[in-house]
Amino acid sequence: MYYPEPITKLIDSFMKLPGIGPKTAARLAFYVLTMKEETVLDFAKALINAKRDLTYCSVCGHITDQDPCYICSDHQRDKQIICVVQDPKDVIAMEKMKEYQGLYHVLHGSISPMEGIGPEDINIPSLLKRLQDENVQELILATNPNIEGEATAMYISRLVKPSGIKVTRIAHGLPVGGDLEYADEVTLSKALEGRREL
Amino acid sequence: MYIKELTLTNYRNYEQIAFSFENKVNVILGENAQGKTNMMEAIYVLAMAKSHRTSNDRELIHWDKEYAKIEGRIEKKHNSLPMELTITKKGKKAKFNHIEQSRLSQYVGNLNVVMFAPEDLNLVKGSPNIRRRFIDMEIGQVSPVYLHEVSQYNKILHQRNQYLKLLQAKKQTNVTMLDIYTEQLIELAGKILMKRYRFLHMLEDWAKTIHSGISRGIEDLRIKYKPSINVSEDDDLSKMVNVYEEKYNEVKQREIDRGVTLFGPQRDDVLFYVNERDVQTFGSQGQQRTTALSVKLAEIELIKSEIGEFPILLLDDVLSELDDYRQSHLLSTIQGKVQTFVTTTSVEGIDHETLKEANTFKISKGNLIIP
Repeated sequence: MYYPEPITKLIDSFMKLPGIGPKTAARLAFYVLTMKEETVLDFAKALINAKRDLTYCSVCGHITDQDPCYICSDHQRDKQIICVVQDPKDVIAMEKMKEYQGLYHVLHGSISPMEGIGPEDINIPSLLKRLQDENVQELILATNPNIEGEATAMYISRLVKPSGIKVTRIAHGLPVGGDLEYADEVTLSKALEGRREL
Repeated sequence: MYIKELTLTNYRNYEQIAFSFENKVNVILGENAQGKTNMMEAIYVLAMAKSHRTSNDRELIHWDKEYAKIEGRIEKKHNSLPMELTITKKGKKAKFNHIEQSRLSQYVGNLNVVMFAPEDLNLVKGSPNIRRRFIDMEIGQVSPVYLHEVSQYNKILHQRNQYLKLLQAKKQTNVTMLDIYTEQLIELAGKILMKRYRFLHMLEDWAKTIHSGISRGIEDLRIKYKPSINVSEDDDLSKMVNVYEEKYNEVKQREIDRGVTLFGPQRDDVLFYVNERDVQTFGSQGQQRTTALSVKLAEIELIKSEIGEFPILLLDDVLSELDDYRQSHLLSTIQGKVQTFVTTTSVEGIDHETLKEANTFKISKGNLIIP
């Protein structure tokens, strides 16, 4: 190795992050050397705290620093509606909208036999338990609009429908504010399939 | 439409070569193993974003290079558009009119080609997957939605087969999930079936007339789709979906025991009949050839009727495979309207005015020889 050991270690650590290759890692590592000691210390603390203090909410599965999470423990929210998403990042996306007042349930993945993920490997059992224990009126399925997300939504709907709870699926089709002429044929055909009566 | 310019960089045996073509017959002349077929393949890949010869894209890259690039300028009725396809070891990048296309299904269909190579004579006598591949490629050229449906179907099929294997090995006992994959599969299977029926119906209309012409009116060609379930052309989508549902219900246990999907468009076939007799089994070599030729020529007409412009015809080493009468029928059909590329080791013995008017390009060891 051409570098002294401490910096080699730092480069290797950066390379563990997604999207960072050897060159970027080396650049980041050398940049760290030029930073003030207290800034570096804050950086290191932020890293360790994120790992130590964050857990998954025992109710909905969202990332949180308190259990239950701030959404589950908020009494202003409508506890009769649960929105099912695949990933904690999807919760953030929904929250940015500031329109949805219900609760969430994070599955942490979608069913995909090809990747060895079966129905029991994602957060479905805890969802079914919630539906039994809480007074839920509507379940919104907001999994991704691809094969796996669609199959996961259909699976949950099969399990929940008999209990009489209303199950809905988010719409897909044309993006808002877009021009029809710029939409690709596949999106357009999906939008046509999902048309509704006015 | 026609190709006005074509540039290949690091493509198979070509390091760098540039052509400019006119909207007529272009003869690519050269000894064996000089790169004639590679050039035809490059035009095909530019249009379809995949090769007709191999599914391994790495083979397309010159042996000691990192990437291969095909650039073309396509002249259409009202405009002139550049297309570009870059193949790297990691994947493909397609640009149409200088804009990178995120989906290949968006890119395919901008340039329409019909390829006729010696292996296409297998269309009639070869295995069913050759015929399925043929209809998928051809419908895909005129319908990006179909291309998307087929790729979605294949994804679900993979998931379903994988799940069936888990059920077979008793690593999974949840049958509800299988029902969901079946439901997803059926929805697309129905749509694929409808489009294949419609396509073959149109293809038959064109091919019948052409076949009758080549056979001097004594042979009557029919093309029939042979589905793996009991439906017919006149059934509507909901009928097909119903039949699929019944079938999958019936074979559920068998599929679990075998660990594989037993029915669906991936098991269907196309049958060709001449004078009511199955050409694949009972046809002579000549009839099989005529059938393959009629179907290919019908494709040209079909694309013209769907797109409004003639596609580009690629004839790779087939003139020598056809007798004089079929040769001249082929050349008269394309005369003056379809830009055609013909590869051959020699033009001697082919006496047709179409070839006399043609532009000739001589290729040797991956280079263009200027006459």
